[in-house]
Amino acid sequence: MQSKKFKMKRIFFLNLFIVLALFIASPLYAFDILEQLNIDPDRLEKAKKIFEGATNIMASSTDLDYSSEFAIGESLALEGFKRYGLPIRNQEFQRYVNLLGNSIARNSTRSDISYYFVVVDSSIYNAFSCPGGIIFISSALIKSMNDESELASVLAHEIAHISHKHALKSIKRAKFFEGVSKITAVTMKKDDGKSFQEMIGNLQTTLFDNGLDQNMEFEADASAMDLLYRTGYAPSGFIKVLEMLQAREAGSEKKGSWFSTHPPLYIRISKCQGKMSIFGNDNKLAKGSERFIEFKKKGNLM
Amino acid sequence: MLKRFFFIIFVIGISMTLFAAGEKVWVSSSGATLKADKSASSKNVASLPIGMQLSVISSDGSWYQVSTQSGQKGWIYRGKISNNPPSNADSKKGQGNVLGGLLSSNIKSQYASDTSRSIRGLSPEAKEYAMKNGTPKDCQNALDEVLKLKVNPSEIETFLKTGKVGEYAE
Repeated sequence: MQSKKFKMKRIFFLNLFIVLALFIASPLYAFDILEQLNIDPDRLEKAKKIFEGATNIMASSTDLDYSSEFAIGESLALEGFKRYGLPIRNQEFQRYVNLLGNSIARNSTRSDISYYFVVVDSSIYNAFSCPGGIIFISSALIKSMNDESELASVLAHEIAHISHKHALKSIKRAKFFEGVSKITAVTMKKDDGKSFQEMIGNLQTTLFDNGLDQNMEFEADASAMDLLYRTGYAPSGFIKVLEMLQAREAGSEKKGSWFSTHPPLYIRISKCQGKMSIFGNDNKLAKGSERFIEFKKKGNLM
Repeated sequence: MLKRFFFIIFVIGISMTLFAAGEKVWVSSSGATLKADKSASSKNVASLPIGMQLSVISSDGSWYQVSTQSGQKGWIYRGKISNNPPSNADSKKGQGNVLGGLLSSNIKSQYASDTSRSIRGLSPEAKEYAMKNGTPKDCQNALDEVLKLKVNPSEIETFLKTGKVGEYAE
């Protein structure tokens, strides 16, 4: 009798373990399985709500809304213009870059926000993204490119940083956020605006000088190649850009450039080459050299 | 003992069916459409929202023949779907959001297209920051111009079509 009771307990715990394991591995499929096991739909719906509620509570302690994220991005963009120069004056080229960037962004994991792209008149090889969707690229970097897939690559890398919220992850412990859940013109005046300015200052140092965590850069590289492939551009365009930068590195200004803020190019090239086997038909995908050269000429970016 | 063994096999069997690669895919791009045939120029069958779950029937090159949960059948370009539900999905069953809070990062995802921004230019927060920092007026004007430049979905389609990119490739 005692043995039978023990056996029942073991079966119960084994079943419990399997269900828990499935929830940990993939809650979506666990719910699917429960649905197929004829569990009462009302009870299942309640369980889903409780589960979603729990995840929201876990996430909300560090949540910011989009407008707050964008306020950080706008402030950083103002510093970007101060540091790297003003936009090139050719509106046709700016529009071309925005069409290309948005063609890629709509395939990103964060296609629900607006993206803005700006080419700034700068001799430094650089591109960076501000939280919320504002992306900068220097005229020097564009001048050194040969086709649309190369420009698409750099834009895709920056879009990936925004999708993964890399910059924000690096400042989430900033003093400014103590007791602040939403950034408004009023909360920015907290302690006379010093902690907000300090946060933007730290973010500038990260994005313009020290660079993000290397793993974030590798993640953005990998995501960029996926994005290119999904949009229809040859992912090899990204490797061509990295190789071009590698060839120009020795004679280029390092401070505030992709050379100083990103991991060594040979590592990035190697990692990207390792990923190329996934994209079987790279040579059949778009490179867009004709259109790119045409716009470069119009924009005096040759 | 035998009962327990069959139960485990049953659970694993169901899991394997649900995890099978290519069995289920999700719409993961905005502006995705279900086409009558495997060509961008073919007739639109339906507009598909991000996060919608589809079942794959077959594939041919860059195109997948799929069916929706309501039974509509058609073709979709490879770049518009993924093997996992997108984190920003707002799917019919809400499944796309179940893990959204855990898998995405610390900023709450919101539908954020702020059309008023193009009219008013810089946000009050950016203006406040510019004032506090003595940001030069030309930098403020530059950002204002950047935020005013909008491209719409039909312009993007035309851009991809003229460049023969993605589903418009020959």
